Amino acid sequence: MRRRDFLKTAVAGGIGASLRGVDPRRAWAQNPIKIGLPTVLSGGNAQYGIQAKRACELFGKEINAKGGILGRPVEFIYEDTASDPATAVRKAQKLVEKDGVKFLTGTVLSSEALAVSAKCPEWKVILMSTINGAGSLTAKAWNRYFFRVNTSGPMGARAVSLYLAEAPMKRFFGLGSDYAWGRDSVASFEKQITAVKKEIVGKDYPPVGTKDFASYIGKIKQSRAEACYMALPGQDATIFFKQAFQFGLTREVKLITEILELENMKAVGEAMAGTIGSTRYPFTVDTPKNRDFVKRFHAMHGVYPDMFDGETYEGLEWLAQVIQKAGSDDVEKVIAAWEDSSYEGLEGPFFMRKCDHQAVQPGFVVEAVKDPNYPHLIPKILATYPGDRVTPKCRTEEFA
Amino acid sequence: MAILVEQALNALALAGLLFLVSAGLSLVFGILRVVNFAHGVFYMLGAYLGFTAVVVSGWFWPSLLVVPPLVGAVGALLEASTLRFIYRRPPIYQLLLTFGLALILEESVRVLYGPTAKGIDPPPLLQGAVEIAGTFYPRYRLFLVVLGIVVGLGVWLFLQRTRTGLVIRAVAQNSEMADCLGADVARVRTLVFGAACALAGLGGVAAGPMTTAYLGMGIGVIVDAFVVVVIGGLGSIGGSMAGSLIVGAAQTWGAFYLPETAMVIMYAVMGVILIFRPWGLFGEEE
Repeated sequence: MRRRDFLKTAVAGGIGASLRGVDPRRAWAQNPIKIGLPTVLSGGNAQYGIQAKRACELFGKEINAKGGILGRPVEFIYEDTASDPATAVRKAQKLVEKDGVKFLTGTVLSSEALAVSAKCPEWKVILMSTINGAGSLTAKAWNRYFFRVNTSGPMGARAVSLYLAEAPMKRFFGLGSDYAWGRDSVASFEKQITAVKKEIVGKDYPPVGTKDFASYIGKIKQSRAEACYMALPGQDATIFFKQAFQFGLTREVKLITEILELENMKAVGEAMAGTIGSTRYPFTVDTPKNRDFVKRFHAMHGVYPDMFDGETYEGLEWLAQVIQKAGSDDVEKVIAAWEDSSYEGLEGPFFMRKCDHQAVQPGFVVEAVKDPNYPHLIPKILATYPGDRVTPKCRTEEFA
Repeated sequence: MAILVEQALNALALAGLLFLVSAGLSLVFGILRVVNFAHGVFYMLGAYLGFTAVVVSGWFWPSLLVVPPLVGAVGALLEASTLRFIYRRPPIYQLLLTFGLALILEESVRVLYGPTAKGIDPPPLLQGAVEIAGTFYPRYRLFLVVLGIVVGLGVWLFLQRTRTGLVIRAVAQNSEMADCLGADVARVRTLVFGAACALAGLGGVAAGPMTTAYLGMGIGVIVDAFVVVVIGGLGSIGGSMAGSLIVGAAQTWGAFYLPETAMVIMYAVMGVILIFRPWGLFGEEE
C-alpha cells in the first residue's frame, strides 16, 4: 500500500511539474526558437558548460526583452554530456528529435564536437562551436552544418608564434593534453615555431585529468627549454601552474599557454603573473561594445566574463542576426545567410568564410598581470593580430 | 642523478597521498565487506572543507587537524543512516548505494562551491623549495612523504597494539563470532567507516596545496586507490602501503619514461601481480 501511495504521489508530482513547464510558453503567441546545448555541466569540465550557460542566460534575457528573433522568443535547453563523446551524441539526438531543436551549441571537448558534428548532416541541424579548438573540425572533419565562431587551437598557436618570432627565446617544450585539441595545438605550434628557426627540445602529452605533473616538470627542467608551450584544459592547467610554481620551474622557464583563462588565474593566484599566451576572448579588450558587455555581464552574474562567456555570447548574437537576415529559422536558409556574412563582435570584426565556416577574427597575445581594480589577475593585451594573419588557409591547419 | 632523486621523491609523495585514501578503502572492505565507491568523494570533501577552513581561519595546521574528524563524522552518519540497513543484501545494493552517495556528495560540493578549482597555499613553513642532491625540491612534497609514513605507522600500531584494534581485527576475521563474544559489531562498523572517511579527508586536506581542490578529484583518486588495494590485498594495511608505493612509482616513472603509456603501466603492473598472487601481495587466500 505504501508503495502504491508513493507511486501515486510521484505520478501526480510528475504531471504537475510538466504542466508548470508549459505555462510560460503560452505567454508568447508563437513557437519559440529553440537552441540546444549538449554541454558539460558536471565533473571536471563543468566550468566550460557553465560559461556557455551564463552567456545564454544573459543573451536570452536581453533578446527576449527586445521581442525575440523574428518576433519569436528564444529558448535554451541544456543537457549534460559529462565530457563523454558518446553521451554528447545521445543528448544532441534527444535535443534534435524530442525537443525539435535546429541549432546546437555549447559542446565543450573537441572530441565531443567531432562526434556531434559528424551527425549533423543526417539530422539537418547546425552545430555552432563557440568553444572547440581542434583544427580538424574546420579541416579534415568539416561539413557544411558546422560553424566555428571561436578562435581555433591552431589560430591561438599562430598568434603566439607570431609574437614569439620576435622574442629572444629559442628553445621550447610542448605540453599538450592527450586528446584531439592538445595534440593538434602542440603540432601546430611546432610547425610554426620551427618555421621561424626556433627549436622544439621536447614534447609530452599528459593524459586528461593528470593530477601530478611532477614527472613532466622534471622533464621540462631537464630539457633546458627556455619556455614551455602548453595546451591543457582548465583544471589540468590549474594544477600544472600550481605545481610548476612549487617546483620553481617558473623561475627558469617562461610558461606560455594557448588559452590564458580567468578560471586558472582565479584558482592559481599571483603565482601565475607573467604567464603569457593566446586567448579566445580577453574581457579586457577595449572596444565600446565590449566595455558595455562586460558591465552587463558583471551586473547579471557578479563575475567578469571568461573566454567562453564572451565567445558564446558573440556566437548567439551572430546567429540571431543571421536568422533575422534569413527571415526564417529554416536551416538551409540560415546556412546560406551566414556564409560570407560579417558581424561586429566584442573583440572586433568577424567574417564567416564560406569555404570552411571558420570565423575570421582578430588574434590576441596576452599576459597575466596584477591590477588593483580587479579581485584576480587579468589578461593584459600584449599584441593584436588582424584576422587574415591568424586564420589558416581554407579547410586546412596551414598558414600562408 | 638529480633527476633520479627527484623522481624517487615524487613517487614517495604520491604514494603518501594514495596511502591515506587506500588505507581507508581497504579497511572498510576488510571489516564491512563493502566496496565503497563513495570513498573518493570524502577525499574531495576533505580538500574543499580544508579550503574553507584555511580561508576562514587563515591557518593551515589547525585545518589539518579539524577537518578530518568532520569528514569522519559525515561518513559515520551516512553509514549509520544508510549502509547499515543493507549489509545482508547482495553486494549490488551496496554498490548502488555508495555510488549514489558519491554522486550526491559530488554535486552538492559543486552547488556549494561552484565549478572553479580552489587553490590552497601551503603553510609558510612548507612554502618554497629546498636543495636536495643538486636539485630544488618543494618542501610541501617532503611533508607529504613524512605524513604518509607517520599515519601509516600510526594506523598499524593502533590495529596491532590497542584493544580497540584487536576488536576491529576480530570483526574483520569473523564478525559473527566476534558478535557472539560480546563485540558491538554495528558500532565497530560505524567507527571504522568514520575513521576510514577521516583518513580520506586527511588525504584531501593534504592534497589541497599540491593539486588544488577540484571537482572530480574524488573519482580520479578512487580508481588509483582501487588498484592500490587490489595490488596490496583487500583488507590489509601493509598491503595498502606496498600497493601505494608500487602505484606511485609506476605512475611517476611511467610518466617520465613512457608518457604515452603512463596510464596503462599501473594496470599492467596490477595484471602481472594478480597472475602470480590473485589475492594481492598481502591479502589472504579466501
